[in-house]
Amino acid sequence: MPSSTMPPNRVLLALALAALGLVWLLNLGVVQPNRIVSGTGYGLYGATGWGGAIIVSSLLLMVCVLAAKPVHKRFLGLAALLTAALMALPLLLEVFALRRLPSDSAYARIGIGAGFWCLAFFLALMLLEALGQIKASRRLQLSIVLLIVAGWWFCAGREGLSSLSLIREYTNRADQFSQALTVHLSLSLGAVAISAVLAFGLALAMVRREHWRRPLLGLVSFMQTIPSLALFGLLIAPLGALSAAFPVLQALGIRGIGWAPALLALIAYSLLPMVRNTYVALMEVPEAVVDAGRGMGMTEQQIFRQVKLPLALPVIIEGVRITTIQAIGLTAVAALIGAGGFGTFIFQGLGQAAMDLVLLGALPTVFLALAADAILSALRFQETSK
Amino acid sequence: MRAWLAPVAWVVLLVALAALLPAMKPLFSWVQPGTNNVIYTRDSFYLLLQSHIWLVLMSATIGTLVAVSAGIFVTRPAGRDFLPLVSQIASIGQTVPPVAVLALAVPVMGFGEKPTLFALVLYGLLPILRNTLAGLGGINPAVLESARGMGMSSAQVLFKVELPLAGRVILAGIRTSVTINIATAAIGSTIGARTLGDPVIAGLVNGNTAYVLQGAVLIGLLALTTDSLFEAVEKVSGRAFLSSKQS
Repeated sequence: MPSSTMPPNRVLLALALAALGLVWLLNLGVVQPNRIVSGTGYGLYGATGWGGAIIVSSLLLMVCVLAAKPVHKRFLGLAALLTAALMALPLLLEVFALRRLPSDSAYARIGIGAGFWCLAFFLALMLLEALGQIKASRRLQLSIVLLIVAGWWFCAGREGLSSLSLIREYTNRADQFSQALTVHLSLSLGAVAISAVLAFGLALAMVRREHWRRPLLGLVSFMQTIPSLALFGLLIAPLGALSAAFPVLQALGIRGIGWAPALLALIAYSLLPMVRNTYVALMEVPEAVVDAGRGMGMTEQQIFRQVKLPLALPVIIEGVRITTIQAIGLTAVAALIGAGGFGTFIFQGLGQAAMDLVLLGALPTVFLALAADAILSALRFQETSK
Repeated sequence: MRAWLAPVAWVVLLVALAALLPAMKPLFSWVQPGTNNVIYTRDSFYLLLQSHIWLVLMSATIGTLVAVSAGIFVTRPAGRDFLPLVSQIASIGQTVPPVAVLALAVPVMGFGEKPTLFALVLYGLLPILRNTLAGLGGINPAVLESARGMGMSSAQVLFKVELPLAGRVILAGIRTSVTINIATAAIGSTIGARTLGDPVIAGLVNGNTAYVLQGAVLIGLLALTTDSLFEAVEKVSGRAFLSSKQS
């Protein structure tokens, strides 16, 4: 492409200017005397001094220049620049801790300010736009995400960030954290697995018996309409009564609160997207393909296993993706009825007004949902392109 | 008219139950024996219902305005550059669990009604935005071409052709958004908003199943009422746009 025809990229320009404004206006970080007190905020200059302020500002100005100027392969350069910037972002907090953390107070800690979150968010948006412009492959996108995660992982383990209150909250409950992770994953994935089996049966029943379709779909979409808090609440009384009546259930850990009502509710919510996608996928296999299979002398069983199922798989996986993301989010709510998982940290933190404990629960929940999205999208993409 | 029968019945049931719950003391004493406090009394159920509806209505109004304007902007020639990024934000954003958005609003805005409304607006506009983009993008270009050929201005094309044609898909987005927000607003009780989630949370904290039931039943009824309202609206507007593209 001749360089003179390349128009300035207004998206990157707007994002970079917005980021520049916000990072100077908002607090980059906060110094807290202890875990509850809100503390004093510091802006970009106050937090990182001239060095940090100049590096951040010139990075954003450089994005502006590259967005406006028709330089050869500018988006590739921009993508590399933004990836590096995102990877190194926690270093800003490290510099902040080094400069501002009082060395004489054992309880003092630094918190992440709105400015830092905005900077991270806008850098990610700019990276997304740059990757879109170079039409990056899925593999490249995934490697970039992994690079950034690795960068943050590395920074989080360094001594300089040990005073970050999020990391302090983590070190104080490392055991509880891994336990929460196990519970969260087993509850949400367990619900997805069970509902996948159930949904497959229901979808098959709907394919075979047309008149079952309306009542079944009506039932599963009715359940999806009930808000999570209400369904969790409604299950407490009947399950509690059952458990009181049958000691066997009690011995199994099935009670009005805890994992049992959570799992039941999660399965109920998972059924709609699963059943709908599986049914649609099986129905949408073209009749001509099935006929071709029959013509080749395949039995109905073979047609189902070797023709219908492989063709329906991408849409079924899409159903699993929607369900998994939803289940991960709902499991966090299930902490309210004592099911455990990352929601425990969120609601404990809200109760104690300890914001970093809230973050310790909310960020991993978001991360799990995004990871599930990435993995299942990749799987579906692979199945589609077969 | 028949389309409105079901929603009206639901509304009557919801309002009647909110009024009658306190009178059902014997029933709840049976559910929660051993205590005299079996009816949630910190606020009246009416007040909670009202405040819950207000939060959802406000967030739906603001969310619809923002999302539809944004959707229109990025599909005009002036904003076309922003389309890929905005549609990616709309789909990636929906991956984030609503409860996390609610929780993350607290460090930024503190406790109370404000962060709840903020989270509801922010999360609720994503499905509307996504459906607005799908609706406007799904219109047959030939239809737009012929509208322009008839001498319509671009504003006329937008208001007389594009928005009516995309209306059904946008409405479906609003329905999704409101359904999610009724559920999220209930959880907003944990960050200090006054909603029907209050009795549920109070009951869970104090181990009072009667409180939990009262809140849960009303939240569930509110969701079903709203859903049947949307069903009726879709049915009625569906007749008007019968010729438009099926979603």
